[in-house]
Amino acid sequence: MAAGKRRVGIIDYEAGNVRSIENALEHLGARAERVTREAELSEVTHLLLPGVGAFGHCAQKLEATGLVPALRHAVIEEGTPMLGICVGMQLLADRSEELGGHAGLGWIGGTVRPILPAPPMVRVPHVGWNDVRFEEAFGDFAAGSSADFYFDHSFAYHDPREGRVLGSCEHGTRFAAALRHGNLVSAQFHPEKSQAAGLRFLAAFLAMDPKC
Amino acid sequence: MLKKRIVPKLLIKHRQLGSQVRPVLVTTRGYSDIRDVGDPISQAKIYEAQFADELIVLNIDGTEIAGDEVMLSLIERLASETFMPLAVGGGVRKPADFGVLLSRGADKVTINRMAVEQPALITEAAARYGAQCVVVSIDYRKGPDGRAEVHIDHASRPTGLDVLDFARRVFELGAGEILLTDADRDGNGQGIDIETLRAVTDAVPIPVIASGGCGLSAHFAQALADGGAEAVAAGTFFCFRDQNPMQARAHVRNAGIPIRAEV
Repeated sequence: MAAGKRRVGIIDYEAGNVRSIENALEHLGARAERVTREAELSEVTHLLLPGVGAFGHCAQKLEATGLVPALRHAVIEEGTPMLGICVGMQLLADRSEELGGHAGLGWIGGTVRPILPAPPMVRVPHVGWNDVRFEEAFGDFAAGSSADFYFDHSFAYHDPREGRVLGSCEHGTRFAAALRHGNLVSAQFHPEKSQAAGLRFLAAFLAMDPKC
Repeated sequence: MLKKRIVPKLLIKHRQLGSQVRPVLVTTRGYSDIRDVGDPISQAKIYEAQFADELIVLNIDGTEIAGDEVMLSLIERLASETFMPLAVGGGVRKPADFGVLLSRGADKVTINRMAVEQPALITEAAARYGAQCVVVSIDYRKGPDGRAEVHIDHASRPTGLDVLDFARRVFELGAGEILLTDADRDGNGQGIDIETLRAVTDAVPIPVIASGGCGLSAHFAQALADGGAEAVAAGTFFCFRDQNPMQARAHVRNAGIPIRAEV
């Protein structure tokens, strides 16, 4: 993989920790660049939408950047590979039920719903390492294989229409831990915090052809 | 299945070394008897190599962390040089401090005194940064009557609050996790206070990280299995003894408790 040629634009909307993401991408030989202006979107080969925080707060911050129409064009029209992480995945849905309900970008359909606690076994937030079963192959993760990734969330993506689930995870109920819609990949877990498995996941994303 | 976590705790003091003020990793006993251990970055890298699941980094100098460049640079370096999730606290005063710490590389923020004095901060921070980011660190000491009372300011000041009532309250306000520490057992190696831990894990549906008293690998397994903790944090245990997270992990795994695969 020619990761050295990859330039990853990280959408910088002040919603969480992008430092670890930059570091993980650079560790893999890619160049990580923070994107705050529309013109910068065309300079990169891959895009990354991070996100830590409450859905409504992140949605509002992302909207305030003014980058959404250009981002949509780059990803949906031009096919630039994009990875959404954690709330960056949830924002792609139609809406979230978090704190009264908020609209998402609506790029992949579906709703983000709370994970229901069932203590003592199922506590919420879902914090820590949990195994993700790959429903499809991704990079060097074979279909049917599993690996532990780090999660830290209380809400999860839910789509009654199913399909396009790249990896699934169980915490009380089975939920979509990662999705793939062509060039658009998303993960509820934090690959940048998931040590070796996380780096393998990011390497698979970097291996995706630019503008496929 | 969600795995239980083993979490080294890095207590940090500021030390003047030559012309520079540097962060130094220390251990404490009963929240006093401070001993210097060494460089927190090197130690964090060792813990990462030993499959620690997360790190907790606590400023114990009482400085306001959001304006403390020594602490902020340390967090930045930890986030850049390791791939471990970081919970950071000690000296968090206002909701905006969460934003500062997250932008410098923290994944979660722990609050202690503010949870007692300004509980609305919990709700405000959770609304902005999500409950998963808000960890309330509860220190307690047991009185002669056996009642566990919440203490603040490095467990030096009693608050009159009952641990169980306070745990329920912070959960209702929106906290995402509780770091529960028996200050009397801090650094003594005598084992975790399972009775109080169990009462707290039964009282709230959020994850509880147990801390204070780990002296044997068996103590981790007890806290996870009998105490109902989702994670166990330890400082002294990993610093001075011939012990490391890998041995604790092996013990936990052999006890039949789910723990992350070492791959």
